[in-house]
Amino acid sequence: MTPAALLPYVVLAMLALAALQAWRRFRHWRAGRPALVDWARGLVALPKRYLVDVHHVVARDAYASRMHMVVAGGLLAASALSVLTAVPPLGQSRIWLGLVALAFAVTLAGALLVGARRYPQRPRRLSGGRFQILPILLLAYALGGLLTAGLAAAGASLPPLSALGLLLAAAGGLGLAWQVRAGPMRHALAGAIHLAAHPRPGRFEGERASALRPLDLDAPKLGVETPADLAWNQLAGLDACIQCGRCETACPAFAAGQPLNPKRLIQDLAAAIAPEADNRHYAGSPYPEARPVAGIGGLTRPVIGADAMIHPDTLWSCTTCRACVEECPMMIEHVDAIVGLRRFQTLELGAVPMKAAETLGELRGADEPGGRALAARTDFAAGLDLPRLADTGTCDVLLWLGEGAYDLRYGRTLRALVTLLRRAGVDFAVLGAEERDCGDTARRLGDEATFQRLARDNVATLTRYRFARILTADPHALHALRNEYPAFGGTFDVVHHTAFLLELIEAGRLPAGSVAGLSVAYHDPCYLGRYNGEVEAPRALLDRIGAERREMARSGRRSMCCGGGGGAPISDIAGERRIPDIRMGQAKDTGAGIVAVACPTCTAMLEGVTGERPDVRDIAELVLQAVDAGAQAASARPPVAAAMPMSALEPAE
Amino acid sequence: MKITVLLSPGLHPLSGKPVLPRLEAQAIALGKSLGGVLSGLAAASCPDGVADALGHGLAQLDLIATTEGEDPMPLLAAALAEDGPKLVLAGRRSQGGEESGLVPYALAKALGLGVVADAVAIEPGTEPGTLSILQALPKGARRRVVARLPMVVTVHPAAPPALPYAYGAARRGTLRARRVQAAPGAPDAAPGLFEERAYRKRPKLMRGAGTGGSAAERLRAATEAGGAGGRVLTDLSPEQAARTILDHLAGLGILR
Ligand code: SF4
Ligand code: SF4
Repeated sequence: MTPAALLPYVVLAMLALAALQAWRRFRHWRAGRPALVDWARGLVALPKRYLVDVHHVVARDAYASRMHMVVAGGLLAASALSVLTAVPPLGQSRIWLGLVALAFAVTLAGALLVGARRYPQRPRRLSGGRFQILPILLLAYALGGLLTAGLAAAGASLPPLSALGLLLAAAGGLGLAWQVRAGPMRHALAGAIHLAAHPRPGRFEGERASALRPLDLDAPKLGVETPADLAWNQLAGLDACIQCGRCETACPAFAAGQPLNPKRLIQDLAAAIAPEADNRHYAGSPYPEARPVAGIGGLTRPVIGADAMIHPDTLWSCTTCRACVEECPMMIEHVDAIVGLRRFQTLELGAVPMKAAETLGELRGADEPGGRALAARTDFAAGLDLPRLADTGTCDVLLWLGEGAYDLRYGRTLRALVTLLRRAGVDFAVLGAEERDCGDTARRLGDEATFQRLARDNVATLTRYRFARILTADPHALHALRNEYPAFGGTFDVVHHTAFLLELIEAGRLPAGSVAGLSVAYHDPCYLGRYNGEVEAPRALLDRIGAERREMARSGRRSMCCGGGGGAPISDIAGERRIPDIRMGQAKDTGAGIVAVACPTCTAMLEGVTGERPDVRDIAELVLQAVDAGAQAASARPPVAAAMPMSALEPAE
Repeated sequence: MKITVLLSPGLHPLSGKPVLPRLEAQAIALGKSLGGVLSGLAAASCPDGVADALGHGLAQLDLIATTEGEDPMPLLAAALAEDGPKLVLAGRRSQGGEESGLVPYALAKALGLGVVADAVAIEPGTEPGTLSILQALPKGARRRVVARLPMVVTVHPAAPPALPYAYGAARRGTLRARRVQAAPGAPDAAPGLFEERAYRKRPKLMRGAGTGGSAAERLRAATEAGGAGGRVLTDLSPEQAARTILDHLAGLGILR
């Protein structure tokens, strides 16, 4: 038999080894909790999920995208064509062998692209270790295959060279197959299963699918203590990680030198998918300012703790901004894992950071994170005369004030919004003392019990009244009310104030005006942009009022967090820098005089930045300024009959 | 050592919702740090708020049902006499109730025990059967007291913080309805000691404020009192600075 005739058996041996290695690894997934998976739907949708959704993310890095297309396409084609040479007429056909050689040549080109990215110097976000061997294995497999098939296709009989080619192909190919259990090649098989059985299939069907799943508070164990407490398809997701480090680059906590690196977190969890495990094989960037941990774990061993895999400080550094999820080409759900782990710490162990414990205590005792009186929520509006829904009974728009209402600075924003609503003649009201906290902070801190109670109480209040929509300037409240309350029996039409103000202007209900001359950089709130996909309305609004809009290096769905989400400011895990300082630096780089915000948390975080910097203004404040300017220009024009008596509408500042 | 933590139904100062008073949650943490068998005891008309103690680290809680307005003292005294704990931990006063602060004292009297007030730390004494208690005094001063068990100890707000509430732990804890027979004719905590009067606003006197002179002078006199003395040192090395501060603290008797 010629070496070329043995090529299919090399590939079959590879397949067998890969299957064995996959089985050795994937059998551990069975330890995970069961998950409801619509297999038929997932498998049918798999090609689309891979070719469209995954590609969409991968293509943000053009080099990686091209590299992957060439190397993965070449590898699959070369292997499949090689197997078919076992079929007699094909094995004899020199044209066919030429095709096989061509496929190996493509693989070779891909292998070179993989190698060129990693040698001589690998980018910091990529992992070393087993990953550095990958291009060598690819090269061996491709070169060996090319030699064997190419010589046979050319009809050249150079047995020693062909045999050498076959050996090379076998060594590289079996090496790749070996890597299916614990090396880079695991991502291919685990990734395919993960895509088909994804825990949030809605992500592939145009939904944002960003709401957290309710936790069954009667379950015997609350939250995730060990890897086995994750659903099996979450475990598959961990194994799908290719350690590309895109999540690491996007993570604000990582950038601030806090002890969190989402890639390492996923790898620490993945490493623990075995009865006995440790973290010594990880070869990527560490957690910044890493707190020492024992680095040992296992499927049924605790994950969190200085004596386990992940230090609690790592867990509490996350702002739940979802930047990692947005960037992950393998569609891994980091935030679900983090919140799951937090739930166990909070609900079962009471192991929350001290400050966060105080906040959660006040939420339980006073329905408000600062322990303030609910009736004081409307204090910001002194003199504005806010109608209460309890008095009017019904209204068109219910204004949900949120926690920001207690903040002096943010009160100015809400006053601007209320003034605008008045000008536009909107029929609105507030809940006043009946508005409890929406529970967002409690939920992200893992206190699902408090969140669920608050959600149920708020839904009960809301369903007592008649209104068409809920308007809020707080994206966290928006996300909770719009996306997370439906699970608790409350489905509401919730609109953010930027979208609502745009509607008012477009409908001509607010007089046109302009703030021309102001240069504005808009900072997308994570809970509006990434969680709800609303990135256009705020920009359209800024354009409508004539602001000179500048974009920061990171904006829209790929914007960077202000550091304020997920209870991170109260957990307050020390780092080297502060996240808002980094974000403000990016705003400053645009040269804009104003950074426009649309969220009370962003306002507080960015206003807290010291030194020379752009002014922080909420979009509502800018719109009011424009409307004021428009009204002034109108009243300055002589023939106007009667200027609107502004003083009657606007309170003295 | 058998320890009982006295618990009471508190009200949140602003929302008025039932909560466990923070000091009592701190008392649980203090008791836990001592080790031993810890259980809770409360007399209340409903478990709301009190039951939160199970989430703050208490495994078991006995609840004596009272009727609205009933004096809990005789019931608590009877239960404690039955259980005979070595140490009774309590807050300083109820929260949102009558807040007389008398219960620990009245109980101690009824049981014939001593009271050590305002503990911020407790550890076993060198002699068996004793406790060494760090007591908080006004202005941040501390005093170490060694006392013989059994006794009643009340907890000061400066004690270590309470363990964060854990829903799962609260779910696991046991709440037992306790029935006790109050000793017949048990004395009222303070019979005839109090007389109820309508609240009358009184002007607050500023301590140390001068009485003569202009308003500005009086203000200066009142605010400067504590500001006298001290030195401003510049250009010190960190070691020198630290040494100077330590010497100053030692001079004040805060450090020894
Ligand atoms: S989690 Fe996703 S983004 Fe992060 S390294 Fe793994 S594959 Fe890349
Ligand atoms: S959600 Fe944001 S802060 Fe948390 S790990 Fe992901 S990128 Fe980092």
